[in-house]
Amino acid sequence: MSTTEATLQHVAAFLAYALAAAEDVFFKIPGSHVVARYVKSSHQNDPGRSVLELILIIFAIRTLLQSRTRADNSGKNFVKYTEQEIDELVDEWTPEPLAQPLDPMEQAELDSLPVIQGATGPKPKLASSGKTVLNLASYNFAGLAGNEVIKERAVETLRKYGLGSCGPPGFYGTIDVHMSLERDIADFLGTESSILYSQDFATISSVIPAFCKRGDIIVADRGVNFAIQKGLQISRSTIRWYDHNDYKSLEEVLQGVEKERKKKRLPLTRRFIITEGIFANDGSLLDLPKVIELKFKYKFRLLLDESFSFGTVGRTGRGLTELYNVPATDVDMIVGSVANSLASCGGFCAGSKVVVDHQRINGTSFVFSAAMPAALAVSASEGINILRDAPSIMTTLQENVRAVRAVLDRVDCVIIPSHPASPVIHLQVKPIPTTSLAPPSASSPPPLKKSLPNSVQPYNPQSFDIIEEERLLQQVVDEALAQGVLITRAKHLRGQELIEPRPSIRLAITTGLSKKDCEKAANVVKAAFIKVLSKRR
Amino acid sequence: MALNPPSPTPSIFSLRKKSSQTPVSAASYLSALSHMDAMARSRGSTPSSTPALSFSSSATGSSGDSSVCDDFDDSDGLSTPSKPPTSEQVFTTVHAEFGHCADERYRYESQCKPGDSYDALEMDPPYRILLTTYLSYLLLIIIGHVRDFMGKLFRPETYKHLKSEGGYAPLNSDFDSFYTRRLKKRLDDAFSRPVTGVPGRTIMLLDRESKDNHTTFQFTGTRTRTLNISSYNYLGFAQARGGCADAVEEGMNRYGVAACGPRLEGGNLDLHLQCESLVARFIGHEAALITSMGFATNSTTIPALVSKGCLVISDELNHASIRFGVRLSGAQVRMFKHNDMNSLEQLLREVISQGQPKTHRPWKKILIIVEGLYSMEGTLVNLPAIMELKKRYKFHLFIDEAHSIGALGPHGRGVADYFGVNPRDIDILMGTFTKSFGASGGYISGSKVLVDRLRVRGHAGAYAEATSPAVLTQIMASMASIMGVANPVSSSSTSGALVVADPTAYPGAAPTQLIPTWFNLPASLSSGLEGLERLRRLAFNARYLSRGLSKLGFIVYGHPASPIVPMLIFNPGKLHIFSRLMVERKTPVSVVVVGYPATPLVTSRARFCVSASHTKEDMDVVLRACEEIGDILDLKHGSPERWSVDEVIERAVELVETEV
Ligand SMILES: Cc1ncc(COP(=O)(O)O)c(C=O)c1O
Repeated sequence: MSTTEATLQHVAAFLAYALAAAEDVFFKIPGSHVVARYVKSSHQNDPGRSVLELILIIFAIRTLLQSRTRADNSGKNFVKYTEQEIDELVDEWTPEPLAQPLDPMEQAELDSLPVIQGATGPKPKLASSGKTVLNLASYNFAGLAGNEVIKERAVETLRKYGLGSCGPPGFYGTIDVHMSLERDIADFLGTESSILYSQDFATISSVIPAFCKRGDIIVADRGVNFAIQKGLQISRSTIRWYDHNDYKSLEEVLQGVEKERKKKRLPLTRRFIITEGIFANDGSLLDLPKVIELKFKYKFRLLLDESFSFGTVGRTGRGLTELYNVPATDVDMIVGSVANSLASCGGFCAGSKVVVDHQRINGTSFVFSAAMPAALAVSASEGINILRDAPSIMTTLQENVRAVRAVLDRVDCVIIPSHPASPVIHLQVKPIPTTSLAPPSASSPPPLKKSLPNSVQPYNPQSFDIIEEERLLQQVVDEALAQGVLITRAKHLRGQELIEPRPSIRLAITTGLSKKDCEKAANVVKAAFIKVLSKRR
Repeated sequence: MALNPPSPTPSIFSLRKKSSQTPVSAASYLSALSHMDAMARSRGSTPSSTPALSFSSSATGSSGDSSVCDDFDDSDGLSTPSKPPTSEQVFTTVHAEFGHCADERYRYESQCKPGDSYDALEMDPPYRILLTTYLSYLLLIIIGHVRDFMGKLFRPETYKHLKSEGGYAPLNSDFDSFYTRRLKKRLDDAFSRPVTGVPGRTIMLLDRESKDNHTTFQFTGTRTRTLNISSYNYLGFAQARGGCADAVEEGMNRYGVAACGPRLEGGNLDLHLQCESLVARFIGHEAALITSMGFATNSTTIPALVSKGCLVISDELNHASIRFGVRLSGAQVRMFKHNDMNSLEQLLREVISQGQPKTHRPWKKILIIVEGLYSMEGTLVNLPAIMELKKRYKFHLFIDEAHSIGALGPHGRGVADYFGVNPRDIDILMGTFTKSFGASGGYISGSKVLVDRLRVRGHAGAYAEATSPAVLTQIMASMASIMGVANPVSSSSTSGALVVADPTAYPGAAPTQLIPTWFNLPASLSSGLEGLERLRRLAFNARYLSRGLSKLGFIVYGHPASPIVPMLIFNPGKLHIFSRLMVERKTPVSVVVVGYPATPLVTSRARFCVSASHTKEDMDVVLRACEEIGDILDLKHGSPERWSVDEVIERAVELVETEV
């Protein structure tokens, strides 16, 4: 008994000594007193916290020590195999082919894609038939395609700058003509500054994640186009949806966001409203003053996609801000296309200097992609000059839109969701009124009264038969083409859009055609619709 | 401050050089940095009174930057060749765009020779360099935080945009923007320098100055012609004159500048189809698809290739566009260590045996995405090794050839050509036209089934604008001049031997029916002889610069065949000075410098992009400049086995041709 006690005493003495020595060494390290004091006081206040901090430190060290490319074999899900078993598994594994062959319908669609021979424009020639057609398919709203002045300027620029820029803007790719185009766009819209991207589709999907990060809140229209959807996906922000062009729904969602923040006592994060001027998917028009009112009321920033409204509406084509006569500075970021109406290439984002300069470092597809060719930048600048100097272009465009709508609005079997002023006109098939008594789907859950902001699905999703409607519309397209009018179905990546847009034919009205030609073309489209749809059922 | 001597006096640099061995050096770099700023400012305000400027080539002409006749001021030795051409030499290019170099010794073939060592050796710098580099970052960070703290205290209005205000969260929090404001801003003078004219062999900088520490820049109104060793103009097709530009002009006149809409919605021109066939023939694949932006080629097609249940294995240094595309696709991603084939094989064995996480179901597809030539490292993908792995592990292979297409291989067909791999064994080849071809946009090539699938499933087809016809002409003209146009009556091609009997052979000439009838390429281009010369000049220049810099004692990364030559600078403070000293030389040179976060923290570097348009003398100029500035800035930490710069220049051909 006593021997054990004696040994214990020895051990205890040794331990005490060792501890004292360790402490001595420890306190010789500069700064150790601070650490000791900190640990002591934190232990006093809350012993749990010390433990937690210790764990945190260990965890931090562990993360630091682990390399990025480490194999993920620590998880409980990891199955240990011998090398031989792995070899067998490797032999067994058969991957799917990289791409599935097209099905006959897709193949037919691809094969029937019209090919324009030579220059495109209001009356291009088709490669298949050699015939000249009236073009209501291409985006040539302001009629700038083939403009002689623009061509001349482009050739001049080519002879001074060559074609490609051979570098991203950061590395000697910022050419003086890019800076002039950026200034031209900013001046034209009335913003402080603007920035150019080299493809319009890639613009907004870089602009959104440049500002919206994880934890930020985006309130978006349920009808936004695919490019915006991709931007939202990349941003990883929290997204709340409101019903398409429904401002009551928008206001409720904005209120809801603020309420949720107050309730959960969340810190203030960046909040954005993202919507479109003229919606690519249906041609409807935004009530900009209303949205601006709401954005100021609830303190959100507004990111507006004007890809289809810039250069197509307003007295001189400045877009929605000109149409509604609101200052462009009220919109925090205006994203537009240089390709659509200016008939060049690329996209832009206009806004304050802070907004633009931020993107010069954080806009992924700006930083990591070559600047657009100088000749195309100059073409766009010239396009803006033309729009600015000739308000008649926009007047003619509106007249042409009215002429087409006057014909098509009266067609019974067609629904037109587009705004009467929109040069993008979507034509949908009106369903045959069903006489059957059976409810469309008995097993579906009871309908909601209101859409849930957390889900992109609206409470009253439209039901339509995509395949059947697309088939009919394609027949209309083919029929119109046979009669000398080039139109196209709105193409969508089925299965990838968040909400399937209803199949439609998308017309793009142009200033390049006379009013008479437009009426003629519209009548051909009308006749084609009637011919195809009367054969239905 | 304005009294500082305008030209770099030896004293400040010798001071820095000495102190770089001690930790204090970080501070002295910073002081030198602000010193440089001050110098620039004092110089900018009185342009003509300083001796430095009397050397530089500030041109104040108003137009016609690119043609010789407009710009005969040759104080910089850039606009006219050092030796006038002899009577039998005929040069069709403008020397400032595409240098005159008739000496056949300065040619090389870009091809992997049997027994070539694949691995580029990467040298580590001495410890003191690492230490001072870390210390300078530490110092920058500390100073940055102190300035932020003081600034917020005493000048709150200048920090307003970083704080929540009036119910709005800041667009850019001070934490997120710290690096930009406090580190990058110091180097801003070396970034985004505006230019004008052709980004060819030389490039015209628009001189600018900053009076407020790089918050704003003002143009001085003068311009400087510099030797351009920065643009991705590998084959020198950035030209405002010559056969390609003539073709583009004709194309613009015939087609206008735009295709007006997405390919699937009314923007589909005959020129697109012709160009795609030509690209497919060039690559050696069945079919190809063209997109109007290189970045978008990746970001819009990768989601059409893989989806949930698929795995993407990606090199850790892959380009942002690839990451973007992969993130959109919803596929799982795993990364492997840059170009490390063992790490890749390990990973492959693991992921195939484990299957999908949780469910352990086998992966639907495994897609490996690598780049042909890495734009920051100058490394080539180890293609032979990957092809071996591909046989064993059955994955699909996607190679981004943005930088390697046109720039590598005896026929300019990229890495597959360089390593002698059949392109049809690679599932997907992607590349861009912004680099070697002097155009814009990108392509994807593969089997017809695959490409057709991408036409209808890729995002670009339905939603993005189609490539401009002007751009298409440039692509076709430059590509045809690399391939040569198959011409049955050509008899003069004894030396080139480009005209092959079988028009479908790879890598063969372009069949006449794939070239628009109105293309009027001059004989030098359509014979493919000039294209071949470009390839061979590029290969020579690349090897010469890379080996030359190593011999001078610099640490150079990358493969010797790579036209991208990264030269290590390490210390962030030296980046900006290096760039500045290069443009202020008698023969100004514009260079790209990159630091964190584009590179790892310590390995800041200058990145040279060699071009076929450079002459051997241009490479000499760069080497001499690096030699001098390298001594001033203490940049030579490489191999102790060194040559003098004169020896390097003298023995250039030997240097290039010896196998290591
Ligand atoms: C590997 C890689 N892929 C894609 C791109 C994007 O190409 P582009 O500049 O044509 O958009 C780049 C450009 O820097 C690149 O380096």
